[in-house]
Amino acid sequence: MLSIRNLSAAINGNEILKGINLEIKAGEVHAIMGPNGSGKSTLGKVLAGHPAFEVTGGEVLFEGKNLFELAPDERARAGVFLGFQHPIEVPGVSNASFLRLAYNKKAEAEGRDELDPLEFDDFIQEKIKGVKMDSAFLDRSLNEGFSGGEKKRNEILQMSVLQPKMAILDELDSGLDIDALRVLGEAVNLQKSPERALLMITHFPRILETVHPDHVHVLWAGRIVKSGGIDLAMELEERGYDWLKAEAGRA
Amino acid sequence: MTTLTACSTLPDLLAAPRPAEWGPLRMAAEAAMETQELPTTHHEDWKYTDLKDLRETHFAAGRHRPVDIKDRILPEARGTRLVFVNGHFDPHHSNVSALPPGVRMLRLASASEAACCLGTLASPQANDLFANLNTARFTDGAFLFVPKNVRLEPVLHVLFVSDQEGDEPTCSLPRLLVVAERGAELNLVEEYWGRGRTLTNAVTEVLIHEGAALTHERIQRESPEAIHLSNLNARVERSGRYASRTITLGARLSRQNPHVVLADEETELTLDGLALLDDQQLADTHSLIDHTKPNGTTRQLHKAIVDGKSRAVFNGKIYVRPGAQKTDAQQQSRSLLLSQDAQVDTKPELEIFADDVKCAHGAAVGQLDPEELFYLQSRGLNETTARNLLTYGFAADLLARIPIASLRKQLRHAVMARTHSQDLESMA
Repeated sequence: MLSIRNLSAAINGNEILKGINLEIKAGEVHAIMGPNGSGKSTLGKVLAGHPAFEVTGGEVLFEGKNLFELAPDERARAGVFLGFQHPIEVPGVSNASFLRLAYNKKAEAEGRDELDPLEFDDFIQEKIKGVKMDSAFLDRSLNEGFSGGEKKRNEILQMSVLQPKMAILDELDSGLDIDALRVLGEAVNLQKSPERALLMITHFPRILETVHPDHVHVLWAGRIVKSGGIDLAMELEERGYDWLKAEAGRA
Repeated sequence: MTTLTACSTLPDLLAAPRPAEWGPLRMAAEAAMETQELPTTHHEDWKYTDLKDLRETHFAAGRHRPVDIKDRILPEARGTRLVFVNGHFDPHHSNVSALPPGVRMLRLASASEAACCLGTLASPQANDLFANLNTARFTDGAFLFVPKNVRLEPVLHVLFVSDQEGDEPTCSLPRLLVVAERGAELNLVEEYWGRGRTLTNAVTEVLIHEGAALTHERIQRESPEAIHLSNLNARVERSGRYASRTITLGARLSRQNPHVVLADEETELTLDGLALLDDQQLADTHSLIDHTKPNGTTRQLHKAIVDGKSRAVFNGKIYVRPGAQKTDAQQQSRSLLLSQDAQVDTKPELEIFADDVKCAHGAAVGQLDPEELFYLQSRGLNETTARNLLTYGFAADLLARIPIASLRKQLRHAVMARTHSQDLESMA
């Protein structure tokens, strides 16, 4: 589904990603782990098309097509979703209207029927149960005044509304307590399907105890320095990242 | 020096005999006018706002005309509405059948009890030329009175329509006097709406007595060719609460002069403004908030969205008098520039003569936030839709504070139409 080939990217002339290779197939769950500053979040933003980052080398194919030929909104409508580490607050725009607008733009692009407000209300009431969110949040301004946990819930709600093919979830665990993390992890599990791929970007392995990855990759200084299974995540939980830094230094 | 009587803007209005009521007040206003110059851009207070059009146009005194106001009806004010057309009472559309006992809502021309208060706030000595013109020459207006400790359920709605008659530009002088007695509470909508080339020169006086509370929505949706001049004089007594929002959508040139005196202790003021401008529109707000006694609170948020070749001017004065300790005043001016040719001039002016106060002000003029844009785009909205949505949100954020559901919805729709965000329509 997603082929990342020798990808390099920079911001303000500083190269952050220095040749990433990663192959993700439909139905797979991948985890990218790494210490702070290793380039994890940059990878997510580059895939989603954040304008501050410049792709300096390599290519990314999404379902065989060059991802970088698409604007951020075209990528989203094609099925790429980025769950933000720090979701943005948009005052004055209600969460429900925004969700319906986003849903209908995608439906329009796929030639499906758009939902009117009543139909959408039925649809969204079902979806918010999945993330255990209070429906009062639908009438509030998008993310405005939401706690860290509520914002993350809202990201997963958006994912469940947009039904992406490839979801990249950036630091889903930051700002969450253990219980909220489990609830959200279970909500993500509900979204797993043989047609959908997941890329979990995380510093801590805890989220992976609920959302089990098929593959774990460690990013260090802009490169994937080690790949493995869930046991690699457990090893990082036990030993931290320092031993890998030493390995990466030797490589 | 050019006075108003010396130029040809309002010849027949000024030549007509002075209305009989409030004779001494009108004479004083006329006397003051004779010493007041028609402002030009050489005057500091009118630096950005050129009244050339007003000086060079001949405005006929407006007469009553039949109008259709069905789109202006607010369900919350079905039996508590006064309508004036070109400054004249409109008995057909006015309906005060739902007024509770003791509450007065009537035309000034028949409100003898208004005599004691009218002109005490907008006094000829203290006010500018245009307020004095209104005082000297207004034909009618609205008088609203809510007695002691009455909490008014229905919303009071006063609609001033400016409607051009024939080919000749039309002038009207709307007048509004609001008195909230001790402990009274009410919601008021003061709305200006119109068609064609009109000059509206309005004066509103608001008296909030001890412990009274007024929320006051001031909506200006006149025609894109209109000139709208508005003076608001409000006085808030001990523990009184006043929330006023001025929403400017219409007029080619508009000027708002809200002047609020916090006359006693423990007063609370919210003074918000929103101007949504495009094409050649200019909206100028010169506000003055006067803290005279201790423990007063002010929250002022002024927002402008300027597109096309439009221009927004904001000058916000806050005085904190020597005795006004523990004043807590915050002023924010935020403007969104949507076009290269649009312009914003914003100037806070805090003059503080007390030493134990908390006063802050900020002014931000900018474009849309790229992080917000990217967030919306990453959810599949194209750049144009995302920009429109953020612009809508910038305005709607302030509309959300309006406590009257039908008006809030009406204004949201107006802002959606202006920001091309009708996609949101049925969700408002």
